[in-house]
Amino acid sequence: MMKLKWRDKWLERKAIEITVQQSRRVFVTVSQDDFRKTMERLVKIKGFTQIATITGVDIGKEIEVIYHLKHKELVLSLRTRTSKKEPVIPTIVDLIPGSALYEREVHDLFGVTFIGNPDLSPLLLPEGWPDDVYPLRKKWTSEIIKHKLEGS
Amino acid sequence: MSTFRIPFGPQHPALKEPINFTFKVDGERVVSVKLRLGYVHRGIEKLAEDRTYTQNIHLVERVCGLCSQAHVICFSQAVEEILGVEIPARARYLRTIIAEMERIQNHYMWLGFTAHEMGFETLFMYTWRDREIALNILETITGKRVNYGINTIGGLRRDLTAIAVNPVKRGLDQLEDRMKYYKKLCMTEPTILKRTVGVGILRPKDALRFGAVGPTLRASGIKRDIRFDDPYAAYEEASFNIITYDGCDVASRLLARCEEVFESIEIIRQMLDNLPKGKVRVRVPSQVPQGEAVSRVEAPRGENLHYLRADGTDKLARLKMRAPTLANLLPLCKMFENMNIADIPMIIAGIDPCIACAERMTFIDTENRSTNSWTGDELRKYSIGWYEER
Repeated sequence: MMKLKWRDKWLERKAIEITVQQSRRVFVTVSQDDFRKTMERLVKIKGFTQIATITGVDIGKEIEVIYHLKHKELVLSLRTRTSKKEPVIPTIVDLIPGSALYEREVHDLFGVTFIGNPDLSPLLLPEGWPDDVYPLRKKWTSEIIKHKLEGS
Repeated sequence: MSTFRIPFGPQHPALKEPINFTFKVDGERVVSVKLRLGYVHRGIEKLAEDRTYTQNIHLVERVCGLCSQAHVICFSQAVEEILGVEIPARARYLRTIIAEMERIQNHYMWLGFTAHEMGFETLFMYTWRDREIALNILETITGKRVNYGINTIGGLRRDLTAIAVNPVKRGLDQLEDRMKYYKKLCMTEPTILKRTVGVGILRPKDALRFGAVGPTLRASGIKRDIRFDDPYAAYEEASFNIITYDGCDVASRLLARCEEVFESIEIIRQMLDNLPKGKVRVRVPSQVPQGEAVSRVEAPRGENLHYLRADGTDKLARLKMRAPTLANLLPLCKMFENMNIADIPMIIAGIDPCIACAERMTFIDTENRSTNSWTGDELRKYSIGWYEER
């Protein structure tokens, strides 16, 4: 049977969309403004103290950031969107210390700034990597990246 | 006393993948650690977006040489979930068998590697000799020793022939016998005890706070295993124990992995005895409808997670992979705290890193600006010598 531990009236009111993919996978979308509050609630009240990783997705004008939170058998993917022009999201390292590397990874590859994260130094990209090139954005195809690297 | 900063890594010829740690040390003690990755960043997530689903099966298999099955199962499951395809029972059982064989060969390899790090070369040679049995079994089942190429979306590409079952069972008996001996060794041999007991402590609270996974988490006493918590393939039909230890040190991680091998052997025996008959594959369309899926697998090193988004074409929109080692790196940094420089190689080995260690190590004296560099091999010799004096 479907376990409904994550069910929460507050969350249902705030969420833009809730999809129950299957009994152990839930996707929740919230606005950028509600993100931090929702995260605090999930971590502190609903017991999602573990994070598997953070995924960034380029969806055109915006960047979608998905937090895969775990609670026993359940993976709750909380997503929010931020504009590509100025991608900023409040950090969650104070809530879940284990997310530090995942935030650095998304910062490297998508250029999302996590406000409040004390260390966003490069984790994956090499020294001297051009500032405006975020390899996992769709604009930068493998070909362009290759040319850019060979050219420099 | 002045504090030293020690860059550690990123190159080491003995290991597959490089990483860089900068250790701040006070005399012999490690005060804090800073981490830098990316020396083998291959851009696989980007490459995956240019390939079809079938091509991606082969790309994903090459994320890691030791846990290729874990990645392929994880990816296939995500695609199968979006397609709404259920794979035949026989394929689920065979996937489980191969995944467990992979765990056995990985743990054997890791035991040897850890023995090498502590200067116990005899054990290193013996375990790697015995690992050949596991590789031969994998070759019997899949046709290859590594990167098995047997999985596909919708099941398996080849079936297990009846003639292969007995050789596999014989091999399992040998592997079980040998591991019994190694486990005894790990519990009694003074060299091993001296180098592992109380080394690299990771308290359960920190293991959870920093998100450790797999045997590293279970050796800190936390009973968590994706095969049990979030079962996939045929794990729901298998009966096995989750091995936990509460020593929180490298010794616990050693024993946890040794015992996991027994459980894996047990699972494979159950699977072989109850192997359902029938097809091993269902045909699936090459175009995947719009959708997304999160898939989890317990790889030999811990939880492996794939996030897949499909946009309705024959190519995927986004594939995110989180291999277990990345999750274990922050806990690793915690383990170094207050440890000796001489314990660094053992602590790194303790998490069974897939990216690791050092070829070059520089001690920087912040006061005199004098620098001297060590190779990874020299560090290993230093740490063995340091322990011999005690």
